[in-house]
Order: sequence, then structure tokens, then C-alpha cells
Amino acid sequence: MTNKSADINAISSKARGNILAKLKAEVSGADYDKLPEEIPYIYPEFSHEENLAQFISELEKNHAQVIQTTKEGIAEVISAELAALNITTLLCGEKCYGGNDVHRDVINGLDSNIELQPYDFSIDNNKELLFNECPAALSSSRCSIAATGTIVLWPDENEPRSLSLVPPVHFVIVDANKLHADFARLMAAEQWHDKLPTNVVLISGPSKTADIQQTLAYGAHGPKALIVLLLNS
Amino acid sequence: MKQFNEEESKYAASAKAFRANVTRDLGNEELRSNFRGAMDYLMAKRKDAFSSEDELEVLREQCKLIKQRCLAKLPHLLEQLEDKLETNGIKVHWAETITEANEIIAQLIAQKKGKTVVKGKSMVSEETALNDYLEERNVECLESDMGEYIVQLAKQHPSHIIMPAIHQNKQQVAKLFADNIDGFEYSTDVDTLIQQGRTILRDKFCQADVGISGVNFAVAETGTLCLVENEGNGRMCTTIPDLHIAITGIEKVVEHLSDVPPLLSLLTRSATGQAISTYFNMINSPRKEGEKDGPKEVHLVLLDNGRSQAFADEELRQTLQCIRCGACMNHCPVYTRIGGHAYGTVYPGPIGKIISPHMLGLDATSNLPTASTLCGACGEVCPVKIPIPKILLRLREESVKPKSDKPQVMQGQGAGRSNVEALIWKVWALVHKSPTLYALSMWGVTRFRFLMPKKLGGWTSVRTAPKPAAKTLHERLKSKQEKRAKQAKQSTNTASR
Amino acid sequence: MQQVNTQHLRNYPKKPKQVYLFGTCIVDSFFPDSGMDAIELLEREGIEVIYPQGQSCCGQPAYNSGYKEEAKAVALVQVKQFPLDIPVVVISGSCGGMMRHHYLDLLGDSVGDLVGNNAEITNFCQRVFEFTEFLVHVLRLKPIDQGPKERVALHTSCAARREMGVHITGNKLISQLANVELVLHDYESECCGFGGTFAVKHADISAAMVADKSKNLVASDVVRYVSADHGCMMNINGALDYQKESLRGEHIASYLLKRIKGTSAKASL
Repeated sequence: MTNKSADINAISSKARGNILAKLKAEVSGADYDKLPEEIPYIYPEFSHEENLAQFISELEKNHAQVIQTTKEGIAEVISAELAALNITTLLCGEKCYGGNDVHRDVINGLDSNIELQPYDFSIDNNKELLFNECPAALSSSRCSIAATGTIVLWPDENEPRSLSLVPPVHFVIVDANKLHADFARLMAAEQWHDKLPTNVVLISGPSKTADIQQTLAYGAHGPKALIVLLLNS
Repeated sequence: MKQFNEEESKYAASAKAFRANVTRDLGNEELRSNFRGAMDYLMAKRKDAFSSEDELEVLREQCKLIKQRCLAKLPHLLEQLEDKLETNGIKVHWAETITEANEIIAQLIAQKKGKTVVKGKSMVSEETALNDYLEERNVECLESDMGEYIVQLAKQHPSHIIMPAIHQNKQQVAKLFADNIDGFEYSTDVDTLIQQGRTILRDKFCQADVGISGVNFAVAETGTLCLVENEGNGRMCTTIPDLHIAITGIEKVVEHLSDVPPLLSLLTRSATGQAISTYFNMINSPRKEGEKDGPKEVHLVLLDNGRSQAFADEELRQTLQCIRCGACMNHCPVYTRIGGHAYGTVYPGPIGKIISPHMLGLDATSNLPTASTLCGACGEVCPVKIPIPKILLRLREESVKPKSDKPQVMQGQGAGRSNVEALIWKVWALVHKSPTLYALSMWGVTRFRFLMPKKLGGWTSVRTAPKPAAKTLHERLKSKQEKRAKQAKQSTNTASR
Repeated sequence: MQQVNTQHLRNYPKKPKQVYLFGTCIVDSFFPDSGMDAIELLEREGIEVIYPQGQSCCGQPAYNSGYKEEAKAVALVQVKQFPLDIPVVVISGSCGGMMRHHYLDLLGDSVGDLVGNNAEITNFCQRVFEFTEFLVHVLRLKPIDQGPKERVALHTSCAARREMGVHITGNKLISQLANVELVLHDYESECCGFGGTFAVKHADISAAMVADKSKNLVASDVVRYVSADHGCMMNINGALDYQKESLRGEHIASYLLKRIKGTSAKASL
């Protein structure tokens, strides 16, 4: 244990120099053009219907609830689910991801007893509110992945990261037209390496753990329920 | 060479006590049955996760080559990663030793006057014994992964790298909670136990000033820190507190974002048989202007701690391909028997046997490479094809090498050498390379077989001693050949008459 | 899922007139009957078996203990005992794996008077066949079973399984015996805990492993178990004997020979 704290920048810069020098000494003169070719596994092509079926089946296997509906039907579905869960407060962004206003119709169509809590605050002084007074949340999504039953969220100022994390029930709207076959093809198609936001999160079910005697339990820290509203037009 | 010894975590001392640990844990029937059950479960899950052997083998080869490429370019990728992260607003720190890493983290926390830390699962922070370092400086450090939380509550260490509390059954966890958590009534219902953990930990997420996490992949191309998890605690630690500090080993860097999907796919399937984890969290920057949540500061600590020693040797470098899935331990017959704590090292099982000697020196770990039958199950399942048995052999070789003044490949080289053993092998070689001496010694062994002792140390504690044959195969075939030659001669004689 | 088993990639030669036999040190001093039976089985198929008297041990014990120089010295002598361009049949899978897969690594770059060049070592390695592999892929043996109906289990040494694919060829041979039911015991692919010096250095871990292996074999309710590796059998049979269990393992060469000849198989220890 050091008694007097050394300046961490000094520690880091010395360590950086030493580590890089050691590593570089071992790779000097390496010819990176001669590295062997990496051959990926070629997955079969599936039709949109097959991909959709796979997407739903994987999500359900992972204990997510998938409800197929239409844009017009969302409000009714959410109202019914909230009623069944005995929840009357719903947290949601003022606008949805990317600043689109498509939530407006949903919000206007919810049952009148549902109180909307807009995520219009900074988390800094509102953690108690977020953790204790928001039993359910609604978010949109960017796209999804069929192979693993995965929903891709790009949180932003409209739909912050904690929106899909802290409330125990998470409703997420997924557009079946934005379904990709697998993660690799999604990244390539959308050129992710050029434009990643603060945070990207891939969600494939409700929070879970098998840390006690390999027994699955849901709702470890994040949402106990993931309810997917699948728009399939 | 580096002065690892001064910096050994408290694990190192117990590494020397390997034998005692093994005796203790082999005798614990409950522990044995917990591990057997868990390993059976994990092996079955992995088996079900791969639909075709072809896919598995192509993916393993691809991922091996990805990791080898990233290692071949390691110093350049680390520089690129640093550059990208800093551009994105994430501060990068470097540490050669565990103390340096701990000191950096402690000071980052002190700068923000942090008092409460929530931790996502990080084996590297176990490696540095960070919790103890921070507790000594009056910073409360709470593990939030359910398994880690249980282990911390029990004042233990993880016994498995992805399932830390795998050595405990639900009755034990129930008792632990009942004994340590006010108002918890003993229950073995797993949902009840998890909900109890959830309640306590959600309060902590809400209160904590600092979140600490590990990293599964650090992408150089984009400056992205990737975290794989199921529970959501990793997201909590990296989203809710104002300060997020990630810590990882220097080998976790990958070159391209496109390297991630195949590695992720093999990681989760090899580890728990999941097609993907519940959450895959990609962190690119601290909270930006206008955003409503996320940490205001993000730091990454890059730790060496012996990794550059492994890097310097082409064969041993393969150790660094590891993506920490745990499949090698799940399939290891030795790990299954003795469990994770007996190893006395942070990383148990086959991967622990080959990585720990670089972190702690061979002197503290020379018992580990020999504690394997070289059955090869680990190498067979390794998603990045680390030839673990071959590396174990290499470490045995380094361990019994005579000490010399020449530059050493490894800290503690020659630590496992015994002069008696070395002499035995010299004599063995002398006998077995000379057909005459070999024949003579075998003649002795068979003729004096009545002298064969009935007790042969550990061998006969559970087995009877083998008995040499009356005559060796050599002798029996020699007389058979002579007989034949004689017959042949006789028959030629008869024919010529 | 074999790591280095290359059976499927191997070009197998036509049935040769002559082969070498590598008997292994354990068979030589403890189980010569198995060696004799293997030779008889090969001779019945019309093959002349040459057993060079200069052979001793493949070098694996020293190699696995980290004494590479000592292993090298012994291994080189072995290579020199098998000069003719004919197959070298090894009646233990783990020794076969050592000679086929590790000799080039061990000997390839060596220099000195005894040493051949890489080409010689490579040629030698390519001529090495594990016994059951040779029976199945080179002889294409179709054993005619004349023995009584019985249930047996098969134990495959780990090195033999992963480096030589013996679980496939052993299985194939036993499965061809009309009156034999091959029973899969629990944890069939798990190591028996032998591991050479491991059994001495870490005797208690080894003991725990062989306790489980013998328990699973006994539970499979077979009259005997068969293996192509006397290292494992010395371990498992020793444990079974200690436990006063009647079950024993027998080398696959002896077992096959007795099934073909219709004589009742006796267990060997």
C-alpha cells in the first residue's frame, strides 16, 4: 500500500510507456498483410416471415411477451395490460426516439385513468422518482434482430437510457419492417462504425439471473416484464 | 522482471496452500454435489446451443483468428482505442500492477468525493482486490451481480468466473440471507431470494456516486466499451451514478466493430448456452449535453498485471485470446471435483492454471499446471481454440527448468524443480534410450516382481498395486521368434534331406 | 468436436503385408498378454508383425512432466527402431497420440548425430496408427462374433479420444459384435483420473475421479468394460479391485480375439 498518493497521471503515463514499449518490442517488423484469412460462417437466408417467426419465438423463449398489433391498436393493448397489472402510471418520453412524434396518438388513446409521467427531467435530482414512482415505461426502438430475438435501442434525450431499465415493466414498440437477420448483418447494413451514439443497448428479454443454483428468476435488477408491441403491417 | 511479489493479492498466499485446499474441498460432499450439478447444467446448455458442429467449428476458427489478429496488433490497437475513447470523452488510464490500478480508481473516486460504489461483475477488479483497497479508504463497495452479492455477503470470493456463487445451493443462500439481512425470513424460494436482493440493490443503485464495471470487448475502431450481462446491474452501474469507471485487461481490445458479433455469439453460447445475453450494452461516451441520464464522467483503466509477460512468448500469448466464457472450467473434471476456491487464485479452472502464473509468478502457482490429467476437454470446448493442454505442458517445462541467469520467459521459472525428480528423469531417460539397459531393468522388474510393494503412496490409498508380469512382452516375443526360426530351420533341413 | 483428431482427413493405406508393433512400456512390463493377443489378431488377418526389440517407451511420461530433453532423447531412439516404410501400430491410444501428434514438435528441430531430419520424423508420424484405428480403417476388420451374449462398456482414454478418435473406432468394432450389447455408461467421455504422474502428484484428485469412473462403470451393469489403453485400465481396475468389485476392464485386442475365437473372455488386471 502506498502511503503518499502518487499523482495518477504520472502513474498512468509511466505505465503507458512501459506497457506499450514491451508490447511493441514483440511486434516490431510484423507483416499484418500475412495474417490468415478469417472465414465467417455463412448463415442461410430466410424470408421475412421466417425471420419474424424466429424473432418472436426467441423472445418468447426468453420470457418476453410479444403482442402483435397495429399503430392504432397500441393504446388499447397498453391500457389493457396496465389494467391487468393494476398499474396506473406510465413513464414515457415526450417524443420518441429520434424526435418523432408518433407517440402522441398512443398517449392520447390511453385509458383516462392512466397517469402519464413524461421523462422530461434530468435523472440527477430525480432518482427517487424514477426508481420508486414509475412502475411501467413505454419506449420505441430502432430496429431488431431475428436470429437472437433482440431489440435494439439507441437511447437519446427523448428516450433516455434509464427509461428502458429502471421501471419494472417495459413496453417497447417494435416495427416488424425494421427486422434484420442477425447482428453482423445489421451492423454492416446500418454502417454502425460511423455513427454510434452515447449508448446502444440490445435487449433480448426481461432482466434475469440463474445465479442461485442455476434456477432462472426474472426481474433481477432491470424490468421484470418485457412487453413487445409488434407492429406488423 | 517485474516485482509481482510485493503486489501479490491475498490470493497468492493461498495458491501455495493448493494441496490443503484440495483436501478440504474434496471432503466437502455438499460442495462436490453443488459443483457436479452446476457443471452438468452448464455442459448441457452449451451442447444445446450449437445446432450444427459445422457452425461451431467455423465460428471457433474465425474467432481464434480474430483474437490472434487483435493480439498481433495489440500495441497499435491500444493506442487507437485510447485515441478514440478520448475523442469520445472517455478518459483512459494505464496500470502495470494491481496497486497502480487500485490507486488510480481510488483517486478518481476521491476526486469526486465518492462514498458509495456499486459494482457490476468484473473479474479484473477481483484480480486487483479492489473492494478491499477501497474499503480501507472508507469507500463502501457493493457488488451488484446477484452471484457476486451473495459471495460478498458470505465474505467469500467467486468460485467461477461467470457464476460466482455456483458453490452454494439455495439452502445455503437462504441461510446466508436469513443470518445477514434484517427482516428476511428463511426461504429457499429462488424468486423470493432474488427479489430480496433486488430490493436492497435498487436502493444502492439509487444512492451510489460511482459505478464500476468490467469490459467484455473494447473496440478500437469506434472507442466502444461492450458489456455482456443478463441481470441489468451492469446497465445500472454504468447508467445511474455520476461517475463510471471501467477496468479491463489490455487483451480485451478488438480492432473492428464487426469483430464483435461472432465473438459475442460464441461467448454467450459457450458460457451459458444463450443465443445472446439479455443485455448487450455498448458505451461510447459520457452523458452528452442535453441528455437526461448517464454518467457525467467515464474512465477506463487498462491493466497489464503480467499479461505483457505472456504476450512476449508466441506460445504463451495464446493465453490472451481468452474471452472469459468459463466453458473450460465447466468441462474440466478436476474443477468439477475440487471447485473454484481450491485453486486459491482469482481465475480458477484450466484458464486460471495458465493465466495465474503470469499474474502471480510460477513460484506461487507451480502446483497448478501439474493438477491436470491433460485430458483435453478444455481445449476441445474453448471458443477461441486456446491449446490449454499444450500451454499446461509448457508451463510444466518452465516450472522444472533449472534456474539460470539468462533472461527468463516467466517470473518464477524453475520454482517447481526438485533435484530428486530431475535425477529420476535423467535415470529414466538413460534406461529408456538404451535397449540394453532397458532390457536389463525390465528383466529385474519382472523377475523380482514379488518385491513389488503393496503400498505405493497415494496410488494405493484407493487402488491395489499393479503387479509386473512374469515375463515381458519383449522376452515372450523374442522366444516366439527364436522358436519360429528354429522351426523354419528344421523344416528347411527336412526338406533338403 | 475433436480438437486434433484427424481420422477423417487421413488417407489410409491399403492393407499391408507387414506392420510394426509398438507395444508400449506399460504393456511390456505389466500386460504382455494384451500385446500377444494384438499380434495374434493381426496375424490371423494375414499380416506379419515385426516387434523391434530396441523399443521401450514413447517418452510421454517425461514429456508430460516438463522434462522435454529427456523425452526427446527417448523418443528419438524409438523413431530409429522403425525404419521400414510400413505402418507402426500402437496398442495404446495415448502413446499413439504422442507419437503421431507430438513427435514432430518434440523432435523436428533437433540436431545431432542421432537425429533424422524433419522429413524422417514426419514420415514416421504419418506411419503411426492407433490399434483400433488400424483395424477399422486399414484392415477394415469385420469381426465374426462367436462369443456368448453379454453387455459391455467401452472406456476411451482422453488423449486417445481427442487425438486419435478412438471412441469412434472402438465403438465401431464393438458394435459389430453380434452378441454384444455396448452400454454407454454415465459420464462416458469423462477422464478416469490417471494422467500419468498426475495420479501420484495429485493423488487425492485422481482418487476422486477414479472413484466416480469406477462407480459409473459398475452402475452400467456390464460384465466387463473394454478399453484400448492400459494406463486408464491400470487405474480403473486397480480401483475396482480395491473396492472388491468383480468388474474388470480388458484390452480391446484381447476382447476381440476371444469373441472371434469363441473362447470366454477373461478379465485382465
